[in-house]
Amino acid sequence: MTTTPGLAAPASAPEDVPVAPPRRGLRRDGLAGPLMAGPAVLLLVLFVAVPFFAAVGFSFYNVRLGDPRDPTFMGLTQYARIFTDPDVSSRFLSALLHNLVFAAVVVPVQTALALALAMLVQKSIPGIGIFRSVYFLPVVFPIALVALIWRLILARGDDGLLNALLGFFSGGAFGGQDWLGSELTALASVIVLSIWQGVGFQMVILLAALQQVPADLYEAARLDRANAWQRFVHVTLPGINTTLVFVALYTMILSLRVFDQIYVLARSGGGLNEDATRTVMFEAVTSAFDENNIGRASAISVVFFVIVVVLSLVQRRATRERED
Amino acid sequence: MSARTRRPSRAVVLGTGLSMAVALSACGGGESASGSAEGDGVVEVWAHSGQEAEAEALEALVAEYNDSQEDVSVELTLIPESDYTSTVQATSAEDLPDVMEMDAPTMASFVYDRKLVPLDDVVSQETLDNRIEGVRESGTYQDQTYAVGMFDVGLGLWGNQQLLDAAGVDAPTTADEAWTAEEFGQNLQKLAEVSPSGNAIDLGEANGFAAEWGTFTTTPVLWSNGGTLIRDGSAEGVLNSAENVEALEEWASWKEHTDPNTSGTAFPDGDIALTWTGNWMYPTFSEALGEDLVLMPLPDLGNGTKAGHGSWQWGVTPAAGGDEAAAGAFLDFLHSDESIARMVEANAAVPGTTSALEGSELYGEGGPLELFATNLASACSSEEVTQECIAVARPITPGYPTVTSSYGSALAAIWGGADPQAELDSAARAIDADFEDNNGYQDE
Repeated sequence: MTTTPGLAAPASAPEDVPVAPPRRGLRRDGLAGPLMAGPAVLLLVLFVAVPFFAAVGFSFYNVRLGDPRDPTFMGLTQYARIFTDPDVSSRFLSALLHNLVFAAVVVPVQTALALALAMLVQKSIPGIGIFRSVYFLPVVFPIALVALIWRLILARGDDGLLNALLGFFSGGAFGGQDWLGSELTALASVIVLSIWQGVGFQMVILLAALQQVPADLYEAARLDRANAWQRFVHVTLPGINTTLVFVALYTMILSLRVFDQIYVLARSGGGLNEDATRTVMFEAVTSAFDENNIGRASAISVVFFVIVVVLSLVQRRATRERED
Repeated sequence: MSARTRRPSRAVVLGTGLSMAVALSACGGGESASGSAEGDGVVEVWAHSGQEAEAEALEALVAEYNDSQEDVSVELTLIPESDYTSTVQATSAEDLPDVMEMDAPTMASFVYDRKLVPLDDVVSQETLDNRIEGVRESGTYQDQTYAVGMFDVGLGLWGNQQLLDAAGVDAPTTADEAWTAEEFGQNLQKLAEVSPSGNAIDLGEANGFAAEWGTFTTTPVLWSNGGTLIRDGSAEGVLNSAENVEALEEWASWKEHTDPNTSGTAFPDGDIALTWTGNWMYPTFSEALGEDLVLMPLPDLGNGTKAGHGSWQWGVTPAAGGDEAAAGAFLDFLHSDESIARMVEANAAVPGTTSALEGSELYGEGGPLELFATNLASACSSEEVTQECIAVARPITPGYPTVTSSYGSALAAIWGGADPQAELDSAARAIDADFEDNNGYQDE
């Protein structure tokens, strides 16, 4: 589970290079690869493999945070509860659903928005640096801080900035919406603030990609009388395709581990509707640290791991076809 | 790419795994205390850092104690309030300091986890005898004293006299005169009309109902309607009783006139007429409102007005080992009338000793906060809430973390508009399943 492109590269790279005599000794011993990979492998084993197998082990026991007694063996009870117990499973499945809805909305919307912003700030006009910085600014804020700012914007009643604004423009006809507390708008509110926070980062990556598209391609397209839309579809998009795929994958990863903003808004007085927004990470963390139930938290993590592996395999296949 | 896509799972596993490593190490030890058996003359102390004035007062007391004698040196570590309980929970017994602070309802769970030792032979008899009733109850589990407290707290309804007058509403001053649920609802309506914000009251929504605040602030509503959280280690039929459902329906109906208080200063600024909070806000409120500040009992839903109590208190851990006597001496110092006077000057809490309470300007006879002291004089446990008693402690059980977490989630959902019966049913099932998994938290 620890194969990364970075680890495989050092071992295979020398094969393609004309071999210089002094390096032969190292190659013959075959020590260079393992030696260079060693520190990384050690860390991965220590911080990924060991905790993962520990989690699998814990999920079979009733492990309590801080309890000095030996944990009792529960077999597959924790897993059975996650899938069959009406209370536990409804919470887990709704958490999973929220993760998927979040990803399904955020990945396309945030990527498209980031691309639009990147094209906007790509123009070289005086002072464009200011716009680039402003759009990038939310990325620098910790997400907890972003949640606190949006708590003020989305506050219910007439105090909320958004409600006050809507009330002003609608002449008082529209207002008093409980954006975070209502079942209908809670998840949407979290999605909006998450996109606001995250879009700047993708924008910068896409901006770099846009600037690498050769200018002569655009010139050639213009000579062929391609209009702006045709230039976008046939020059810009193919030019940044790999970066777009990376950005979409990256956003997907962030969407699956969304936790901070929901925890902050639900637990520090944002009045966020927990039932309408809880995610799998939220469920695992609250089980472990609010209810001291490490066993259940481990089981949730293991099940989530399997789901993420499946999702990533599907994604890998899909993106490979596109890259070929 | 595949390695990248697996990252979230790593994060999950890493996070949980780390916590497990902590849990594992907690399972391992037990006997070997880190402090040497002889006692090294250093007493390590952990305390929460919440309100600035309170933390400063504690730091000053520690400095004074260190200057007053040469045998023992006290080393104080302050931990932010929001992380305090989980920090202690995730620390194994032998890695704990010699003396630690804890929030009242978490005490039984720390006893169950073998993180506290009985204090009956550690602190002086005088300290034990001088405690007020509320502090005595909060510190006792299975007939033994595990914690002593410098102060206790009270929960009440604060009013702005100008706005009350404008609405033509009379403020009750004693428990017998408390507003009924019907009067309370009508008054909220009237007060909302005269309040600049258009809302009548702040129920502490900004503190988060899903957090411990929710349990502390809404249980008086349950008790006052004849309900309670759990009885004999069981929640089914207790937490989801008709009384509790009715009480929380009533509570949720107040939302219409409740201010979210996003500014944090709606009440002291005079934007709303009422606020539902504890004594610790008194310094802020009295400075802002002066003579216009009135303190009232919480509404009476039928079973008499009720109020929560139980605050931060002190215990000694098994890690103290040979330093137990020194730890006890330090606690005796903290619980002297002089130390308590300095602490309650900072946080306006109810003094935790009878002698300090009698001499208190705020809580003594005729003082502005006398109501809180009167409430605490008739304290009872949450298992047997009578019509007469006013101050009720949250359940003292090792399963409390699950009780408050499940109830808090239900509370947040109900505030958001969910059906109280369904939410409380689900919370009761979660609590009972947890007690069953842990053999009823019998401390064998």
